[in-house]
Amino acid sequence: MKKCEEIENNLPLYLDNSLSGDDKKDVEEHLNSCPRCSKALVELSKTRSLVGNLADVEPPPWFKQKVMSRVREEAGKKSLVQKLFYPLRIKIPVQVLTTIFIAVLVVYIYRGGEDWMKEVVPLAAPAPMMEVQKDKSPEQKIKTSADEEKQKEETIQKNQMPRDTVRDKTADAAKDVNGQIAVDMEADKYASAPAAKSVVLPSAELEKKKERNISGASIAMKENKALRMQSIMSKTAVYLRVAEIDASAGEVEKLLVKYDAKNIARQITQNRAVLTAEVNNRKMKDLMAQLKTIGQIKENIMLLDNTEENVFLVIEILNK
Amino acid sequence: MLWVSNIIDGQKALYEDEDIKFVLACQKGDTEAFSVLVERHQKQMLNIAFRMTGDYDEACDIAQEAFISAYKSIRKFKGEAKFSTWLYRIVVNYSKNRLKQLRGKDRREGVSIDDSERTGTKEVMEPLINDSNPGAQMEKHEREAQVQKCITSLDDEHKEVLVLRDIQGFSYEEIGDILKIPDGTVKSRLSRARNALKDCLSKVIGDL
Repeated sequence: MKKCEEIENNLPLYLDNSLSGDDKKDVEEHLNSCPRCSKALVELSKTRSLVGNLADVEPPPWFKQKVMSRVREEAGKKSLVQKLFYPLRIKIPVQVLTTIFIAVLVVYIYRGGEDWMKEVVPLAAPAPMMEVQKDKSPEQKIKTSADEEKQKEETIQKNQMPRDTVRDKTADAAKDVNGQIAVDMEADKYASAPAAKSVVLPSAELEKKKERNISGASIAMKENKALRMQSIMSKTAVYLRVAEIDASAGEVEKLLVKYDAKNIARQITQNRAVLTAEVNNRKMKDLMAQLKTIGQIKENIMLLDNTEENVFLVIEILNK
Repeated sequence: MLWVSNIIDGQKALYEDEDIKFVLACQKGDTEAFSVLVERHQKQMLNIAFRMTGDYDEACDIAQEAFISAYKSIRKFKGEAKFSTWLYRIVVNYSKNRLKQLRGKDRREGVSIDDSERTGTKEVMEPLINDSNPGAQMEKHEREAQVQKCITSLDDEHKEVLVLRDIQGFSYEEIGDILKIPDGTVKSRLSRARNALKDCLSKVIGDL
């Protein structure tokens, strides 16, 4: 027979009828001969009855409402995260692709910006360039000066407007530029003071140039290429006095075409017409002879440098 | 008791399918579906917490926090166990944690957690006093308070098994699922819990 202590441990389970067959038999045998354990079983039964009869408490009427108000608060917090990330299968790929796109765009802009800076930086400090030019050889000086003048002319051409008033201003500017070219060429020809050879761009032109540079790296690159091309050319300015400007301008243009001139540009106003073109140096003499048939010629500067292939020719047609 | 338990089990089985439906709705973001789950389980949640702590107000707070916690982590519920099992595990754990906090606080303040004043049975009793036989009702509630006091005095691991089995009527298997302990452990703990409660009641009430 098992001791009372062991049996007492099994009594609560015996009460539940959850003992195995042997244990149950042992308990029953023990209970038949042990009043103490039998009493314990009765007490356990009463205890279970007392516990089982405990009344349920009811939740307060506000309970569900309070829980749900807290739940809605939590849902509100959650919805921010859900707005950003849910549904995951859609929003995560979109966010990843957007991030990659922005990263690529930033890298592209950054690299583009580097080229742009390379183009802009030399223009931002023109003064030291002038200093350097003083020590250059006369040919180099001519090229540099011509480069700058070409820039001026280009600016004038690019800013040409359809209105007459604008045309007048442009033509005046062209005249000024041509005058400047003449002065510069003359200065070069007689090898005067080096400082006089450097042309200082007018502030307005500088501003325009800056604006052009800011407008994009590609434009700056194209302009630089054009400037480099022009810098290797000599320049000739011709004044042609005629009876009818328009008709003569047409004839001169035909002549230029005939002599295979490149980059022909024409500006016509009431009092004058300005034609610019690149002409082969070897054809210059013939061209000049033909121009004399159209009107009275006055060559301000005639630089005949046989080493150069092309000459930048400016023809200003005026009334007699 | 077994008959009652079977009826409760039958109702629970009926609820289980319905629970899953509302749980899925909650997981898809339907907040209002959770109110159905609260409605269904609030009483049992509150009673588990109340029998564990013996304090009605504490039990209300615990059940409320357990529901909020369940809502927060409802996406983690994968249906491996019954939803009610998962929910009752939360309330049991919240109750045990709260009891630990209270014991720590009482230890610092030199108050016993078993003090009858601590239990909220008085507040629960008051509305029930208005009955045809106030004397009998008083006696009944006094007895219930004594029983609750003895339950509250048990170790946490004994208390939880006793509450789930003898008060809430869960099966050994369900208790094992709720507490994540094997059947054998449930039985041994229940056996010790019942003996300890019997001894306590014998001391408090006298001859049972």
